[in-house]
Amino acid sequence: MTQPAPGPDLGQPMIGTSDDIGVSLSDYGIEDWIAFALFWGLAVVVFLQFFTRYVLNDSLAWTEEIARYLLICVTFIGAGMAARKNTHIHVEFFYVYLAPRVAFALSTLVDVIRILFFGYAAWLGWKVANIMQFQRMVVVDWPMSIVFGIGAAGFAILTLRSIQIALRHWRDGESALTRVRVEGRHQ
Amino acid sequence: MSAILAMVFLVMLVIGVPVAIALGGSSLLLVMAEDVQPHLVVVHRMISGVDSFPLLAIPFFIMAGSLMNSSGITARIYDFALALVGWLKGGLGHVNVVGSVIFAGMSGTAVADAGGLGNIEIKAMRDHGYDVDFAVGITGASSTIGPIIPPSLPMVIYGVMANASIGQLFAAGLIPGLLMAATMMVMVSWYAHVRGFHRDATFALSRLWYTSKRAFLPLMTPVLLIGGMTSGIFTPTEAAIAATAYALFLGMVVYRTLTWRGLIKVSMETTETTAIILLIVAGASIFGYLITITKITDNVAELVLSITSEPWAVLLMVNIFLLIVGCFMETIAAITILVPVLLPLMERIGVDPVHFGLIMVLNLMIGLLTPPVGMVLYILARVANISFERTTRACAPFLIPLLVTLGAVTYWPEMVLWLPTMIYR
Repeated sequence: MTQPAPGPDLGQPMIGTSDDIGVSLSDYGIEDWIAFALFWGLAVVVFLQFFTRYVLNDSLAWTEEIARYLLICVTFIGAGMAARKNTHIHVEFFYVYLAPRVAFALSTLVDVIRILFFGYAAWLGWKVANIMQFQRMVVVDWPMSIVFGIGAAGFAILTLRSIQIALRHWRDGESALTRVRVEGRHQ
Repeated sequence: MSAILAMVFLVMLVIGVPVAIALGGSSLLLVMAEDVQPHLVVVHRMISGVDSFPLLAIPFFIMAGSLMNSSGITARIYDFALALVGWLKGGLGHVNVVGSVIFAGMSGTAVADAGGLGNIEIKAMRDHGYDVDFAVGITGASSTIGPIIPPSLPMVIYGVMANASIGQLFAAGLIPGLLMAATMMVMVSWYAHVRGFHRDATFALSRLWYTSKRAFLPLMTPVLLIGGMTSGIFTPTEAAIAATAYALFLGMVVYRTLTWRGLIKVSMETTETTAIILLIVAGASIFGYLITITKITDNVAELVLSITSEPWAVLLMVNIFLLIVGCFMETIAAITILVPVLLPLMERIGVDPVHFGLIMVLNLMIGLLTPPVGMVLYILARVANISFERTTRACAPFLIPLLVTLGAVTYWPEMVLWLPTMIYR
C-alpha cells in the first residue's frame, strides 16, 4: 500500500523541497547569535511551562515571568538584526514621486532621526535600568534592572548599527529609500 | 498638543522613518514639549509594552509556519488537497483554496501561506496549463484566509491592543474564514464554467487514502490547535509552542527533512520577524497611551458621530477608511496605531470589540492585495516572476469574494459572534 493509484500524471508529490540551500552562517553578526541564543532560551522556557503544566500538572512558577522578560530581550536585541539589514517596516511609497536630490535629502534626514532617537532611548534606558536596581522581579529574586539594562543595550546596538547604515548611505549616495524610484517598486 | 503629536507622527511616517521610531519618536517629542512627565517614561513604556503573556504566542506561530514550509510539510498538505478536490472542474483552483484553509489552521500569517504553499501552487498550476494571472490571483486571495482562521498573528496583536479575549477572537474567525473559502470556490467554479477549465484529475479513493496517510500527522495540527484553543484547553501561547514543538518533531525526527542549517535559518528569521513586529508594538504602547490621555480618540469619535450616528453608516465609513489605510500600511503597524483611535468610536455605537477585531483584520488582509503597498503582492510577484503591476491586476478580480465576505462580516455580527458566544459566554 505504498503506491499511489494510477491516474493522470500529477507529478511526484513534492515532498522534501527544502529551501535551506545557499544559507551561509557567516552572514550573521554577533548580535544575531546573541538574539538566537535568547530566542532558544525563550523557546525552552515556554516549552518547560507547557510541559510542567500538562504533563506534570504543576507548572513552574518562574517560567511565565522569565518567558515574558526573555521576550523583551529577544525584541530589543533582535531589533539590531533588522537594523543592520535595514528591514524595519517603513512607508516608502511617496519616494516614487520625489526627485533624486530631494529623496536623498529626506533619506538622510530619516537616518539622522533614527540615530538621534535610538541614541537618546539608549541613554534613557540606562537611566531606567539604574532606577530599577532596587525593584525585584515578582517570582524570582533578581533586580528588574537586568531586563531594562538589556533593553538599553538593545537600543545601544540599534544606535551603532544605524550609524553604520547612515555612513554607508552617505558614502554610496543612495539608500533603500532613494532606490524606490529607480527600481520601480509600487508602480 | 494632540494635534502636534498626530502631525509629527504623520510627517515621520510619510518620509520613511521606520514605523516603530515614528511612534516612539513623536511620543518622545510630545513628552519633551509638554514637560510634565520625565522623558524616560517613553522608554519605560516601550520596554514594558512588550511585557505581556499573549504576545509570547507571536514568535512561535511565526516559527511553526516557517518550519512547516522548510520541512516539506506544506507539500504533503498540498498533495492531500489535490486528491481531495483536484477532480472538480478548475481543480487546481479549488486545491489552492482548500490547501490554504488547512494551512491556515497551523499558521498565523498570510505571508507564510503565500511564500510557502503559494510557491508550490503557482508552479503546479503553471505546469498544468493554467494562465499565470488566474494562478496568482487565486493564490493571493486564498493566502488571506490564513490570519482569519485561527491561529492568527494579527488577531493576537489586536487582542493585546484592544484588551479583548484572544480565544474569542480566534473562535470568531473560524466561520468567516470558511465563508471566504466558500466564496472563492464559487468564483473558481464560475471561472471554470466560463473558460471551460478541465478536471485536473479523476477522483480516486485510493489516492485520497494514500495522501491522507502521508499528511495525517500534519493534518492533526489544525485539529489539535483549533480544537484546543476554542475549547479553552490551551491558551494561544501554549498552542503556539505546542505547534512549534510538533512541527520540529515532524521535521527533525519523523520525516527528517529539516537540516540543522535549515533550523538555524528558520530560528534567525523568526527572531528577526518577531523583533520587527514587537518593536512596533513597543512604540505603539507609548503612542497609544499618549493619544488616550490627550483625548485625541474622543475628538475622533465626536467628529465621526457629528457626521452621522447611524451605526451602519459609521461602519461603512470605518470600512472605507480601513481599506484605504490598508493600501498604504503594513498590517501590524495599522492595527497597533488604529485600535486605540477607533475602538472607543466602536464602543460608542455598540459594536462588540471581538466583532470589530474581525472587521479590522479582514480589511487589512484585503490591503495585502492592494497597491501601492501590499505584502502578498510583493511575494507573489517574486514567486511567479512577473511584474508588480501584473500581479496587482491578476489579484484584482479576486477582491470580489473578499469584499462580499467583508460585507457579511460587517453587517451580520451574529455570524461572527455565534461561535465565541456558544463557547465562552
